[in-house]
Formats: sequence, C-alpha cells, structure tokens
Amino acid sequence: MDRYEVIVVGAGPSGLSAAIEAAKRGLNVIVFDENDKPGGQLFKQIHKFFGSKEHHAKIRGFHIGEELLAEAAEVGVEVVLGATVIGLYSDKEVSVRIGEEIKHYKGDTVIVATGAAENMVTFPGWTLPGVIGAGAAQTMMNIHGIQPGKKILMLGSGNVGLVVSFQLLQAGCEVVALVDAAPKIGGYGVHAAKVARCGVPFYLSHTIKEAHGTDQLTGVTINEVDEKFRPIEGTEKYFEVDTICMAVGLSPMSQLLKMAGCEMEDNPKRGGQVPIVDEYGETSVSGVFAAGDVSGIEEASSAMIEGKMAGVCVCGYLGYITDEEKDAELLKLEKDLESLRQGMFAPKNRGKLIEKTEEGIDISMNLLKKGYVADDEIERFPGVVHKVGVHPVMECTQNIPCNPCQDACSKGCISIGNNITCLPFIKEDSNCINCGMCVASCSGQAIFLVDEDCGDGTATVTLPYEFLPLPEVGDKGYGLSRNGEKICDAEIVSVKSVKAFDHTNLVTMKVPKEYAMKARFFKCS
Amino acid sequence: MSVIDRSVDIGGFVPQPDDDMLICRCEEITKGEIRKAVHAGMWTMTEIRRYLRTGMGLCQGQTCSRLVKGIVARELGVSPAELEPATARSPMRPTEMKVLGKEVS
Repeated sequence: MDRYEVIVVGAGPSGLSAAIEAAKRGLNVIVFDENDKPGGQLFKQIHKFFGSKEHHAKIRGFHIGEELLAEAAEVGVEVVLGATVIGLYSDKEVSVRIGEEIKHYKGDTVIVATGAAENMVTFPGWTLPGVIGAGAAQTMMNIHGIQPGKKILMLGSGNVGLVVSFQLLQAGCEVVALVDAAPKIGGYGVHAAKVARCGVPFYLSHTIKEAHGTDQLTGVTINEVDEKFRPIEGTEKYFEVDTICMAVGLSPMSQLLKMAGCEMEDNPKRGGQVPIVDEYGETSVSGVFAAGDVSGIEEASSAMIEGKMAGVCVCGYLGYITDEEKDAELLKLEKDLESLRQGMFAPKNRGKLIEKTEEGIDISMNLLKKGYVADDEIERFPGVVHKVGVHPVMECTQNIPCNPCQDACSKGCISIGNNITCLPFIKEDSNCINCGMCVASCSGQAIFLVDEDCGDGTATVTLPYEFLPLPEVGDKGYGLSRNGEKICDAEIVSVKSVKAFDHTNLVTMKVPKEYAMKARFFKCS
Repeated sequence: MSVIDRSVDIGGFVPQPDDDMLICRCEEITKGEIRKAVHAGMWTMTEIRRYLRTGMGLCQGQTCSRLVKGIVARELGVSPAELEPATARSPMRPTEMKVLGKEVS
C-alpha cells in the first residue's frame, strides 16, 4: 500500500488548487480523478469568469483549467486519471479502481473535492431520449463539439441555465424558451440579458407539464404556476423541441465523506447532504477535509479558494508550516473568499427578493421577470450616461463582485468605487478613445460603446459579439432591442477582433440615432 | 440521526395519475411503487432501497436518490431534510466483481 502525505479526490478546480498549495510546500501529493481528463467542470466553461484579478476575472474557464494544470505539473503534483475512488475510510485509507484493479492508498490527510451532480425534476415523459441535464449539453458542445439538439427548451434560470442557453445559441441551436417555476430569474441579470437580446423568451412562474414523444422527444407543454407552484389551468403552451435541458440545481457528491464517518447534515442552503466543516473545510474526522461544491454548492471561483484553504491547512496539520504562516495565508484567502461572497447573489442573500441596489437604485423588475432591462428602466443606472462622442454605456444593474471593466480602461474612464460589488460609473471629464477594451473585458457582455449622434441622423453602437460567422463591414440587417426584437435597420461599419479581446469580437453597427440607446444586438438580414 | 415515529398514521395509499412515472431509471421503479412501499412500512431510505432496489443500479442513485427521498418525505408528511439518506458504502461506483476481486496492494 502506497502512502502519501496528501490524497486529493477530484481533479477539478478545488482539488487541483488544494494539491498545488500542498505540493509547492514540499508535501507529496496524489490526486485521483475518475475522468479521463483533469480539470473537472472548468474545461466546459467557455465563458469569461467574474470577480477580480485574484479570482481570474475575465479569463475563460477552460484557460483557468489550463493554468491550474500547468501549475500542478510544475510543483510536482501526481495526477492519476481514470482512477475512481470507490471507498474512503476513517483511518484515511482510500480504495481506488484503476483500470481493472483495485488499489489501496493510505493518506496522512485526505482532501475530498468530488464536486456535485445535477438535479433532475420529473414530469410525464422526463425519461424520453432528448431530456438531458444542462451539464450534459455543455459536455456535448464544449468538449465533444456536438450539438445536443436543434430546438431546445431550457428549464432553470440560474446561472447554469443562463450560461448554457447562451452557449447553445453560440453552438447554433435554437433555444425556444427559458422556463423557471420561480417568479424571478435566479442567475445574474447580465447573463439573462445576453440571452434575451438574442430573442429567447423567458417564461417565469412556468414549469413543464409534459414532454411528448414515443421513442424520442418531439415537443413539450409548459404551464403557468401560482405562488404555491400549483399549475394554473388553461395556461398551457406547446413548443416543438427535440431537446429539454434541465438546469435545476446541483447536489453535492458527498457519499465518500459519509462513508469515512464524517458528521453530515442535510442543509438545503448548501444544496443537500454536506459534511459539517469548520471555516477552512476540515470535517469532524481529523485530517479529512472537504473543498468546493462537495461541502456546499457555489461556483468555481470560490471552489478554488476553498481548495487553497484546505491545501494550506494540511500543510499546517503535517507541520510543514508554522501556525503563524498558516494563519497569515488563511487570512488572505478568507479575504478573497469573502469578497466573492458579496452582493445580491451572495449565499446569505439566497432566496431573498432584493428590490434596491447598494446604491439605493430600484432593481429592474423587468430584468428579473423577462431577462432584460426595459427601456424606461435603463436610464436610472450609473453606467448609463449620455455624452457627446463615443462613450461607454454600462448596462450593469445588479451588485455582483466583479471589476475587470475598471482595470480595462487605460484612460481611467470607468470606476467601480470603493466596493467590488458597486455598479460601475463613468468618471467626469474622462476621455474615451474608443479602444473597446472595456467592452471585451466585461464578463457579462454588458458594456457598449455608443456614439449617440454621428451628425447625419445616425448613431453607432459597438457591441460584444461571440458568434460565428462574424458579420462583415457593409453587412446590412437589423438592430435588435434588449429583448431581441427587430427595431430598426442597421449596417455594420466596423468589426474588430484583436488578441487582447480574447475572442470577444467588437461589432459596430450604424443605426438611426433614435435607437442609440435601444438597439443592443445585430441580426443579418 | 433523525428518528422516525412509526406510530404516526399516514393514512392509506391513494392512487395518483402519475404513479406510473419512472423515478429510478436504472432499476425501473415507478413513483407508485415507491409510494406503495411507504405504505407497506418502508419509512427509511435504507428500507426503501433494500425493498425496491432504487438507487442500486448503474448510476448508483446519482439521479434518483434526491427524487426518491422527496417522494418518501411527501408521503410521510415530513421535510426531505429530516430523512436520513441511505448508507454510503464501498464500492461508491458500480464495479464489476472481477475487478473488485482483483485487489493489489
């Protein structure tokens, strides 16, 4: 039986982060993952992450995965793939299936970072081929390059549902509806807005009544529900679809911890069965830690910090660093984690209806119900201003911990203020040079460069564009409103794709000037 | 550990229109079978699992364990959080006997 100082189960964002922290301080670390590729869910994440520089903001998830793998290799982490941990025992012995054999390992410490599994909801027809998890859709598109279907209905408006809907559109699928039983959209408004401006209708307070088909999915009926989630008769709507994606939450895969004898609790706020852990992830079994989604559903950025914390803790546990060193490291990590857990979507605000921003501005109710900020709501937000000449219009209307826009502007036009969750605003006497860095840096694709009056009755709107084929200069089509309706004629006058934009292309369209603050997307005719 | 008070009267089995809906796909167990099992006295997740084999197929309950728990809880009139999940034991993932029997150290 091989002995390691640290055994990590799961090579996702938290497991790798933990392994790196331990290995770089000289511990011998082994990481097991049942998949053929390391990185967990990171390699499916093709969108840019939120947060600040320390949280890898504006970097796409799969690039973060590549960085983690390179770092792990550099510090000598041993990653064993195709290695399924089938048992974990309280004396920190681990049994692993590798190939056609069962091998046993003994750890001085064990970090469990097994992540989470997708939830499902049931309705007649839910077992038909074509009804899949949103994660499965992501795997098909972003790992294997296959469209999950042609016409898709998404169930669930949390960030997973919103992000995957956008990726389905990017993959060339038609998303016919985004449905959620909740009365308001669960994920970030900016994620909803970029789906809405492509014309995807949102059906809040709706759920699936029935999926149709015999051998495979052919259609779906949804209906409205009342405040107690009871179906309202006569509200049925039918959609012809070949795929239903479910993004209805995640459950921690915590069975190994239960097997090891860790004290567990059923905590709906953390997503289900989770180990009872201290603030750094140590379970009731001394030397067994949990990090990432397995100890409570959050997202990859916080999972990485939790992993680092567990990694630092095992170094302290085994005497590789002093208590003072450990405390100093943990203090820093705690600050990073705390800054992520701020704003409207912080774990402490889950389930609450927040009606005003931290600045005291009324939240857009249209955004929460329909996925886009209404024309008569948008002007009240600090990022939306009118100026002569080209200037950024930042349609960032909810307090989320994110600040790449502020660092992106070399002219210092954009400020977030004191707090990372504050809404961005344009500094007075700032001088926009139309470089577009802010547009490309915004992970929520919520920044536009607008010249409200070009002098000839037209205006230009520069928007972030992540679809193929790219429009070309001279292409004619329509300006789409924030809810994806054709509202005016538009012509492409510039298309910029430079390396610093990291595949967020900047497309500039010319529209009649009265649509300068209304047209937010382009569709070729 | 939650305690199940078996003296509570949960009433009789009342058929529902979606009783034939599959819940555990691997073992092909329907909602009606799970609800009937509760009325046959299977009040814990461990009992349900042994009685019906829900969650004991290929996916090892990855998809259905939460659903089964919800159905049992509703039938008993308790919150799912009050039900102790079934025992977690090795092997955590489906493993062929020939592999399980080939231990190396």
